[in-house]
Amino acid sequence: MAESAVGDGVTQLYEAFVARDPARAIAVVEASRSAGLSHEALLDKLYAPALSLLGGAWASGRLDEYAFTQAAVTAEQVSTFVIPSAAALDTGVTVLVGAIEGDEHSIAKTVAGAALKQAGNRVIDLGEDVRPSTFFERAEESGAWIILVSAETEEAADRVSRVREHFDAAGREVIIFVTGGPFEADDQRARTVGANGVSRGAESAMRLVAGAAARLGDKR
Amino acid sequence: MSGRSRQALLAEGLARQGALEPAVEACVEAIRLDDADARSRALLGELMLAVDAYDEAIAAATHAIELDPDLAVAYLVLGLAYERRGGTWDQAVLVWHELAEVAPTLTTAHVQLGEAFSSAGFEAEAIDAWRHALELDPTEPRAMYDLAVAALKREGVPTALPGFRKAGDLDPSQDDFFFELAGVYDDGQPAPDPAEVPPDRDARLHAAAALAFEEDYFGAADLLRLALDENPEDAEVLALAAFLYLKQEATNEAMALALRSLAISPRTRTAVYVLGVAFSRRPGMNGHAARVFSALAAAEPDRPMSHVLLAESLLGEGRYTESAAAYRRAVQMDPSCVRARFGLAAVLLAEDRHAESAWEVRQAAYYDTRRQDLFWRLWDMTGEAADADS
Repeated sequence: MAESAVGDGVTQLYEAFVARDPARAIAVVEASRSAGLSHEALLDKLYAPALSLLGGAWASGRLDEYAFTQAAVTAEQVSTFVIPSAAALDTGVTVLVGAIEGDEHSIAKTVAGAALKQAGNRVIDLGEDVRPSTFFERAEESGAWIILVSAETEEAADRVSRVREHFDAAGREVIIFVTGGPFEADDQRARTVGANGVSRGAESAMRLVAGAAARLGDKR
Repeated sequence: MSGRSRQALLAEGLARQGALEPAVEACVEAIRLDDADARSRALLGELMLAVDAYDEAIAAATHAIELDPDLAVAYLVLGLAYERRGGTWDQAVLVWHELAEVAPTLTTAHVQLGEAFSSAGFEAEAIDAWRHALELDPTEPRAMYDLAVAALKREGVPTALPGFRKAGDLDPSQDDFFFELAGVYDDGQPAPDPAEVPPDRDARLHAAAALAFEEDYFGAADLLRLALDENPEDAEVLALAAFLYLKQEATNEAMALALRSLAISPRTRTAVYVLGVAFSRRPGMNGHAARVFSALAAAEPDRPMSHVLLAESLLGEGRYTESAAAYRRAVQMDPSCVRARFGLAAVLLAEDRHAESAWEVRQAAYYDTRRQDLFWRLWDMTGEAADADS
């Protein structure tokens, strides 16, 4: 989009704010978008400069307190059209998370699940004390092929192998990540139970899932 | 007077001056002279706590409580000693519960009780205690930080982050940071009467900042208006006006004035601060806030709060490793920064490092009670009560 056109858009948006005309302001935003300004650039190149003009008008006394506040309300109404969505774009990837049967610890899988959801994944939280067969059944229902199983005790950690067994028995391809103290302390345990990787916290879970999704996406 | 020995009074005086060793000697002597002097035993416990001698602190405070079951300072010392030694959460719960009984309006007792419950795995009871603390004092940031960490455990970072920000708004350290950037320090003098401020730019700006410091936003705004009538392109004046709007929850107006200020002078740090805070209040703008606070942290690398604000934005972005690094920089610069400690605790929880997270919360508690000078506040309160009784 040409610089001059962006500049015109800024002035028009500012004027729409001052006129307290949200419909006109939205039309300016949409026209700028149609002219090629990306959603990411709308805030920096259009909305923020228009707000700055508004600030300048108040500072110089061209707008009194009341008009400034009213214009700011209009700007607020338009903000949802320019501010990026709080949630990331849907990746289309479904992830099942749950604490394995016999394990009531919820924090690790909850925090990882919330982070995965924020990153745009479709997260199904199965909760705590989840039977191995439930992981399989819910994966079948939802079409999920990435599973994050948490276990915070050694006994529970060993039980994760049964999740893998259910999928193998059905010949179903799935990627199983594990999280929890026993796995973080000993990578070998994760291999023994048939896991594809160990998640060490929420950021690690996001990396593992993104990597797996990219690899499987390529394969498919 | 309450009839305490000269040695006891000497011990108290030395302890208040921070002369630990002679204070301990005086305490021991005071106890030798009067075996039933509960306050000297509690003071000895406090001194032991200061040198990380937890077992000795527990012994002294326990003895003090046996002698005087209503002695609030003794419970404070005992509770802190149990928590800092670790591994005795059940006893800490009992002690904080007792402190809340003997000093029911002491907000910190309920905050500590909640933290002890949480450490013992009783999250619902912990949340009740923190809520009770907020009922007693709605501006208590530590209870709010604790509730944010509890929300993180139940629902993850995205749900917890607004709680951290709310706690940050309650925390006076954030406003202090703005005023540091504006070059305003509390000199103990009251802000000038707006009617008596000389009609020049610097005097108006400084007086407006002083009024804003005292939360007289209307008085400050009137002076800024006069300054802007003379020069509407004064970036510093615009930034302070933006701050006034921010404090009154008018985020869009604040953003407009901060952006105008930065369009005139991109290095106006107060405007950078206001813009970052305004961005961080809007869902979806953590990335923008992180960019702004990153610039602020680069411009003000020696101020812990600039790293804390950056860390919170990074946390909102899911960039936990970078967030932890920024929090750690803040803690390194100021180990008593409660906000950084809680933030770091949150990141560590998100990284499955629960023991380290709990340690940071305990450190926050330790420094927070120090910052509040809680021991001496309670000491003086109970001293006055004892004097009144006698």
